[in-house]
Amino acid sequence: MAGEELVARDPTTALLSVHDLHCAFGGLNAVDGVSFDVQTGGITGLIGPNGAGKTTALGIIAGATAPTGGTVSFDGRDITRLAVHERARLGLTRTFQLSSEFPRLTVLENLLAAERDQPGDSLWGAVLGRRHWGAAEREYVERARDLLARFGMDGKESEYAGNLSGGQKRLVEIMRALMTRPRLLLLDEPMAGVHPNLAQSIASYLEELRDNGLTMLMIEHELSIVDRLCDPVVVMAQGRIIARGRMAEVRHHEQVLEAYLVG
Amino acid sequence: MDLFVAALGFGLVTASILAIAAVGFTMQFGITNILNLAYGDLMTAAAFVAYVMNQFGINIWIGIVGGGVFGAVASVVLNRWVYSPFLRRGTSPFGMVIVSLAMGLMIQNILLGIGGPTAFSYQMDQGPNLRAGALILTVSQVGIMVISIAAMVAIFLLLTRTRLGKAMRASAANAPLARSCGIRTDRVTDVVWAVSGALCGVAGVVLVMNTASFTAITGSTFLVVIIAVAVLGGVGQPNGAMLGALVVGLATELGAIVIAPSYKDVIAFAILVLVLLVRPQGILSLARAST
Amino acid sequence: MSSGLQFYVTTLLVYACVDMMACWALNLQYGVTGLLNFAFILFQAAGAYTAAVLALPLQTANGGFQQYILGLGLPFPWTVLGAGLAGGVLALAIGLISLRKLRTDYEAVVMLVVSIIATTAVSNFVPLFNGSAGVSLVPNPFDGLNVDPLVETWLYVGLAAVAALLTFAFAQRVTNSPFGRSLRAVRENEAAAAAVGKNVARLRLLMFVVGGVIAAMSGGVLVGFIGLWAPSAWLYPETLVIFAAVIIGGRGNNVGAAVGALLVPVAFNEATRFLPQVGNPALIDALQWVVIALLILAFLWFRPQGIVPERRRVFPAARPGANPADRRVAESMAPSGGSR
Repeated sequence: MAGEELVARDPTTALLSVHDLHCAFGGLNAVDGVSFDVQTGGITGLIGPNGAGKTTALGIIAGATAPTGGTVSFDGRDITRLAVHERARLGLTRTFQLSSEFPRLTVLENLLAAERDQPGDSLWGAVLGRRHWGAAEREYVERARDLLARFGMDGKESEYAGNLSGGQKRLVEIMRALMTRPRLLLLDEPMAGVHPNLAQSIASYLEELRDNGLTMLMIEHELSIVDRLCDPVVVMAQGRIIARGRMAEVRHHEQVLEAYLVG
Repeated sequence: MDLFVAALGFGLVTASILAIAAVGFTMQFGITNILNLAYGDLMTAAAFVAYVMNQFGINIWIGIVGGGVFGAVASVVLNRWVYSPFLRRGTSPFGMVIVSLAMGLMIQNILLGIGGPTAFSYQMDQGPNLRAGALILTVSQVGIMVISIAAMVAIFLLLTRTRLGKAMRASAANAPLARSCGIRTDRVTDVVWAVSGALCGVAGVVLVMNTASFTAITGSTFLVVIIAVAVLGGVGQPNGAMLGALVVGLATELGAIVIAPSYKDVIAFAILVLVLLVRPQGILSLARAST
Repeated sequence: MSSGLQFYVTTLLVYACVDMMACWALNLQYGVTGLLNFAFILFQAAGAYTAAVLALPLQTANGGFQQYILGLGLPFPWTVLGAGLAGGVLALAIGLISLRKLRTDYEAVVMLVVSIIATTAVSNFVPLFNGSAGVSLVPNPFDGLNVDPLVETWLYVGLAAVAALLTFAFAQRVTNSPFGRSLRAVRENEAAAAAVGKNVARLRLLMFVVGGVIAAMSGGVLVGFIGLWAPSAWLYPETLVIFAAVIIGGRGNNVGAAVGALLVPVAFNEATRFLPQVGNPALIDALQWVVIALLILAFLWFRPQGIVPERRRVFPAARPGANPADRRVAESMAPSGGSR
């Protein structure tokens, strides 16, 4: 993973900025005036009790959910109206809470599918045949294999992604997201439903990625993981932000304690 | 003007038939979450059962009961033996469409095999014409409207005033939650299919009573209009289906005096497209139609 | 071979080629991209009608007993190309309206309704394509050569075979390319595909149109051979026959689709041709449909991947001496171990 692809151009403005987000379903205000920034570098945690609106907020940032109010800016650019795939092309990629691998594609194909700039990835390119896109494909296969090796899954490259264990599927999703050369990676509970040992492994990989300069925004429930990985932390409850800062400060915050007890 | 009022009358009759049919169809969607494309063919089958009874000299109005009973039994069997097993296996909604379409074709062709490709007619007396100003309807048409109103009231009372009705609505809204409240959802499912199946059967018989004859494909062609009504009212919403039936029934008959009568289905289709473009969830539905 | 047998064999071969083209088209839409085109037969019909009215002379010719639009008397290949264009335009129109993020089953049902309504509309609006009587006396592209009718049919087999081969080559290139992989990603998980940068809506519409074009051209090839086309040839259950072929033969791959084409529309129809007429005249036909319905259910239940399943794509091993970058040996994720 070449580090230079992952560092934002201007370290002084926030990489991601959401302002006054609102999202209402029926009569329920899932997200009720949320504003925060994500600075380049490091893993920002988005935590809070169930029903706080974290996944909805992430969905708005990713482009999957339309906000009823507010704006989202990425690297200084207003992306509030952009479609999901356009945000991915700008370097804003997400993973999903429920396993979202491509089940009947092999692990290697899962990664290759995420590759941009592949001349064979258009109808015309396909018609022109292997001569047209073969070289690029070989290059990307190598890149994908390097990634698989780094994450210890090179033996699984020809396995159907749908046949993997839960933890392995998570890794495939993360690797797939990395293939898009993201500048900001949105992680929606990457440890959910994963065995604690495996969760620690995933955490190690995320630390490595952070140390290599990848910026991440992560929703996570397991507070020990949040403690280990996230700095700073944004705390949501009932659709609003109730605290933000370093984990050490926030965990003693009265409102936060209350929210977790009640929520 | 006279033509308009007469068409209004026909529209009310069509709406009556549509209401019975569409409420049944939409109830099946509500409880099992699939669009039962074999519904129209079951209507034809029920009409055929009534025809056979009719051939034995039984009055067609009794035949309605026969059709209803057949519809109820056949629908419960269809769900239990075909739809439920496929659903339990995790078949996608689209896979279920193929399954129900295949079942519909099977039923249609079994009828074709038994009865042959000819058209069948009921031996019935339409009764004298009743007039109210420019409105002209036969006794049997009025009878159909009465049956329809009675059925709609009965369904409404069932769903809102009885415990069973409440259990049905709960199971349709959220089956796991209903189960955890102690509701026997599989029993409830059987009842819903039986009731909606009865509506299906009755609708099939009265449809033929109104048009006088039918072939093996009568029901499946009518399904197009039923779907338009169900979508307009919001699939899964019986009240919406009743309202939708009124709108579509009147629209197609009134429209038919402007355009040729053979294009009635096209009008229903145009309504369907309009609804899907503008408000896919239907007039009354709270559910979302998009993914 | 007697000439009677030859006519039979050539007819069978032309139908085989046309059916394979149709199955490849539907496979691209359904098997590869996950599109639920329940109006499929409509596109083949549009192609057949277009090719017919492009090839036919003005409607006043032949005694003026049939009404239809156009009537330009064009030669092959303009007829088939025109058919393809018509299929593409129709697909664009229908696709823009109905491929709008509806629930998958709604989408399928809407397409089905479109198909049924189209039959009604065309049957009733006579000036368009001569209503339920349909168009006939469509000229064969080889008529101008003035050869023996038997030779003409064999020439047509050649034409159909070329069309089928070109379609197969195209379908293979699409399926086995990075583009095909993107389509399959869309099929597997639309939200995830979008999250990695695929423009899902555009891809689906594109393949809907591509499939529509091929389906229409298959119709164009067919009508040039059989010389007539009427609503009875494209009732909505015909779409289910093609789906049955793709499901039974094997979805997602072109060999499977071809096998399905040969088994279902061709072999199945032929198998019943030689059965004696028993019971009422519609009985054999009706039984065919019942069996097809049962086969669909059986395959969906027991073997949804079909006879020839989609093959697993394995990439050639890395060249010896290639450097597998700095590996982090973290704990293995799987019980059987993946890291070395």
